[in-house]
Amino acid sequence: MAPVVRARDLQVGYGAAPVCAPVSFDLGPGEAVALVGANGSGKSTVLKTVLGLLEPVAGGVEVLGSPVDEREVQFRREVSSVLDDDAYFPALTVSEHLYLTARGHGVLGAQDEVADLLEEFGLADHARATPVSLSSGQRRRLLLAAGFARPRSLLVLDEPEQRLDQRMRARLADRLRAERDAGGAVLIATHDPDLVAAVCTRAVHVADDESRVLAPAEAADRIARVAL
Amino acid sequence: MTGAAATPRTPPGDPATAADDARDELPDDPRVGDFDLGEVPSARSIRRFTAQAARSRAGASIGSLLTDVYTTVTSVVISVLIVLGVVQQLGDSLPPAPPVHAPGGLSLPMLVALVLLAAAGALLSTAGRLGPVGAEGAQAAWWLPLPVDRRALLRPAALRVPVVAALAGAAVVVVLEAGLLTGGGAGLVRAGLLGALGAAVVVLGAAVAQTRGVPRRRIALAGDLALVAAPVLAALVVLAGRTPASLPSPSWPVVVGAAVLASLLAVVVDRRLGVLPGRTLREGGSVATQAVGAVVSLDSRELGRALSGGVAASARRRSSRLRTARGPATALVTADLVVLRRSVRHLVQVVVAAGLPVLATVVPQLASPVGVLVAVLLGGWMASSASAEGARWAEVAPVLDRLLPLGDRTVRRLRMVVPGVVALAWSLVVFAAVGRWAGATLDWLLLAVVAAPVWAAAAVRAAYRPAPRWDKPLVATPAGALPTGVLQVIARGPDLVAFCLLPLWVAIGLGTVTTWMVTAQVWLSVIAVMVASSTAEKGWMERLLEEQDQRKGGAA
Repeated sequence: MAPVVRARDLQVGYGAAPVCAPVSFDLGPGEAVALVGANGSGKSTVLKTVLGLLEPVAGGVEVLGSPVDEREVQFRREVSSVLDDDAYFPALTVSEHLYLTARGHGVLGAQDEVADLLEEFGLADHARATPVSLSSGQRRRLLLAAGFARPRSLLVLDEPEQRLDQRMRARLADRLRAERDAGGAVLIATHDPDLVAAVCTRAVHVADDESRVLAPAEAADRIARVAL
Repeated sequence: MTGAAATPRTPPGDPATAADDARDELPDDPRVGDFDLGEVPSARSIRRFTAQAARSRAGASIGSLLTDVYTTVTSVVISVLIVLGVVQQLGDSLPPAPPVHAPGGLSLPMLVALVLLAAAGALLSTAGRLGPVGAEGAQAAWWLPLPVDRRALLRPAALRVPVVAALAGAAVVVVLEAGLLTGGGAGLVRAGLLGALGAAVVVLGAAVAQTRGVPRRRIALAGDLALVAAPVLAALVVLAGRTPASLPSPSWPVVVGAAVLASLLAVVVDRRLGVLPGRTLREGGSVATQAVGAVVSLDSRELGRALSGGVAASARRRSSRLRTARGPATALVTADLVVLRRSVRHLVQVVVAAGLPVLATVVPQLASPVGVLVAVLLGGWMASSASAEGARWAEVAPVLDRLLPLGDRTVRRLRMVVPGVVALAWSLVVFAAVGRWAGATLDWLLLAVVAAPVWAAAAVRAAYRPAPRWDKPLVATPAGALPTGVLQVIARGPDLVAFCLLPLWVAIGLGTVTTWMVTAQVWLSVIAVMVASSTAEKGWMERLLEEQDQRKGGAA
């Protein structure tokens, strides 16, 4: 089975300057890969490169068998991402942001879908609120809900545990496990050992000197021990 | 959970490409999400959905929209007419052009041509820094990931900057043509149209370059080079002693040609909007959002930060080791120098600022006390504010001023060193020309040297000014309501230039330098430095941080 993401000696960075050692990994349908590493090690830069928001410095990355090109409509159909964008339309409500995502992807009957997501992410009481009136944690949940409000083959999340309480983290882990079990591919950058242990099938340790593929348990242990 | 895909995948067995083969190996449909999918909406409907929701929430009606449009158009027309009136009056008061230009002089039409070249350079530089096509934060986060036609999504954003540039271009050309060259009638209309189309061509050219993958920094650099070429060309013309007595009036075929060129570029940009990468759109949109916010809040410092930060290198080939730093004081000064050295925009600004007064002294019609005074005032302010970048960054990040074991006042005084050195160099160039115009060059240079600290003090005072206060009372004037709190803040810095350079202004007005002027200037320079060293009123960021600390303390 061809991988959804195939990274080979992928060196990432800004301009010509790499920020970490090259990474190589495959991510197939029904798998979840965690990128782990210290702050500033280059996890988010790897994610942005996989999403086509940065050019690789060297090496290559393919998504669904094609070189990454986020300008392609097909790429945007298949790849759902939640980065640390804290930007919202100030006049749109929480539910309108989710409708925008769902209907923008051609989802029919978006009403039920949005209602379920609002409930699941604890935003039902804030459906008519504008994002500026939400707490940072609630805004984070809105972003995560939007990531699930549309069809996708690949879900890319940058530190999804940030600004979430323990209950919501556990719920997110359940959701990601279900995603994986349904045949979706999940790529996350995280500092949360529980999320790695509960969701991921593999982990990639991103570092300056050498990037290595780890088993989830080993990665979770390493995060817990050396506070990555 | 697997649902139907919105569009059919590549048919099995299609041998078109290796990539297609790889796709064929995937399961029938690896998509996740139990969705019934219909057609993806058009980009237009996405824009409409967002705009309608925003309108309904803002409570905007057609009536209020028309009122806003009416107010904006009226304000713009009144502003242009006021400027036009002032410039026309200036044009009427100018002496007639000499029949034959003396060697070492520059004709007014040539000066206007050079000003237009500089304006085109500034426009290209700004367009490059803004993108010029971009998607602001929310659009980048919520629109760009949608599988809709990006061209249609970005079309209004792509049109905005060229249209604004065209309006500004028309206004600048009409003011120059009617004011300084005393043009009128059909010629003025043609010149205005050509100005609008020329400005649009510059911005659309930058947009074409953007769609071709030219980095924004290079586009901005091209604009900066055109900007700096203006004073260099002026110097060459003066040295060559051959300056045209008039500029050719634009004919209708030229205007039509410019319109065709602008239309072609617009079509090219429109066709290539879809190839703009998301990262470029995000970067441009981010800079534009910051810049628009700065303009709306009348914060020139934030505008400068937006335009500089947008094209700053993310990494440098080598780091400065601050070798000249021998202690905290020299470390601070050296850091300020590195900041200035790395900002091409500000270096260009200093060169252009030196060119302005020099040009005023060599154009016969402008070489009057009023012309030279205005040019020295503008040039001096441009040069000194360009050199205070270190202080401006320290104002927004007060920790930069607290890193070193130095007192607050000492830090402020040290922040004046680099602007002081720049002001000194600027003064020597400018007042050598002023001395050549008025005679007694050494006296003028002496006055300029003792006046240089005032420029530095004014730049640093302006850099550390608090945020505009919008909560102060408004004062009704014939031109509309004036927010006193804003004016009070904006005046910090220029106030020192106005009052502490009085001897300099009097000297230019009288065309001579006397001993008492130099003596008075020395005392006023000392006063200016003392005023700018004052830390009695803190910057807005510093106040914000202190308030936060107090809140945290209270909560604890």
